[in-house]
Amino acid sequence: MLGVARRMLGRVDLAEDAVQEALVLVWRRAHQFDESRGSAKGWLYTILRNRCLTMLRSEDREVPTEPQAIDRASEGALVDAAFDRLPTSADLRGCLEGLDEATRRAILSSYVLGHSHGEIAGRLATPLGTVKARIRRGLLKLRECLS
Amino acid sequence: MTDRSLDLLIDEVVLGLASEADTARLEELAARDPEVAQRLARARDRFAPLDETADDLPLPEGFWNRLAPRLDVSEEASPPPEPETAGAEVIDLAPLRARLNRWRRAAVTGIAASLLLACLLGWSMLTPSDPLVVAVLLDDRGEAIALVESGPDNTTRVTLLERPDVPAGQVMQVWTKPDDDGPPVSLGLLSTGLSRVLSVEGLPEPHPTQLYEITFEPAGGSPTNLPTGPILGKGLAKEPVT
Repeated sequence: MLGVARRMLGRVDLAEDAVQEALVLVWRRAHQFDESRGSAKGWLYTILRNRCLTMLRSEDREVPTEPQAIDRASEGALVDAAFDRLPTSADLRGCLEGLDEATRRAILSSYVLGHSHGEIAGRLATPLGTVKARIRRGLLKLRECLS
Repeated sequence: MTDRSLDLLIDEVVLGLASEADTARLEELAARDPEVAQRLARARDRFAPLDETADDLPLPEGFWNRLAPRLDVSEEASPPPEPETAGAEVIDLAPLRARLNRWRRAAVTGIAASLLLACLLGWSMLTPSDPLVVAVLLDDRGEAIALVESGPDNTTRVTLLERPDVPAGQVMQVWTKPDDDGPPVSLGLLSTGLSRVLSVEGLPEPHPTQLYEITFEPAGGSPTNLPTGPILGKGLAKEPVT
């Protein structure tokens, strides 16, 4: 769990905060957990990822957002590592391989790094509308491939 | 909302691309409609393998100790209204609270342990237990092309040993003959062209000498539910020596 949070937030102290807050939420919402709607593990990670996203998107975030503070190379490496570490037997890997590289990276950086449409567009120096359309097409292809 | 735009909304929520308002809208929809909830859960499952790719970091020392007081605070942030103490009989709640806190801590540890257990169980269910039978599938030149391992419940792990040349518009389908003299039964498709674990219900426990084979079939699988296409490889199962 800590690894997922650090990957999104970039700092281990913020990641620990996120995991703690997620566990507090798990504790308070335990009665809402419904096994028929997915595994406990999936539920836990969903709460954690939502917590990280809220931290990333909040106005008074401590997470660096200034362009100079963003280490593009390490972001790219994180996205590549996430893809490379997917087991070769995973359907998701096979289906991601079927996408063109720009689309694959856009989808991975949203899930893995928590990037918004705007952040992805900024990093690729591509118009927002183009990025949105590309991701939409990519998701449709993935859905068809994985179903 | 059309089916397709609902699917897109679900995917964007799972990826974290949807706005807060859209996320809230979908969660409300899922709370009311079990079908939407199922679709949301399936979409989450599709991307969940990415969670496993993060570095495995140990929780820092003192993590649980720092967590416990936060759980107390979170409850005390909205304390239940305390009844007015009437008359002279005042009950000292401090020892009671202390006892309650101890219980909470025990419960937190319990929750943590059960979540961990749930994760481990989830993992072990995805990974077939020790195989009951193993088969090496050979092509017509005698090359090993796939390893098949099957558990008592016919959960079958198919590990491809060569990247097969799947003809366009076709798919690999895995078959077995639970009854040596009966017809082959499909175990499933390798639709991504990659190794995977297949599960099928209603078949007897696999036995030694049971036939396994992979054939090329039209996309979507054999139309007749029996192998029709060329055989990529086949082999007879053996019981592993343990």
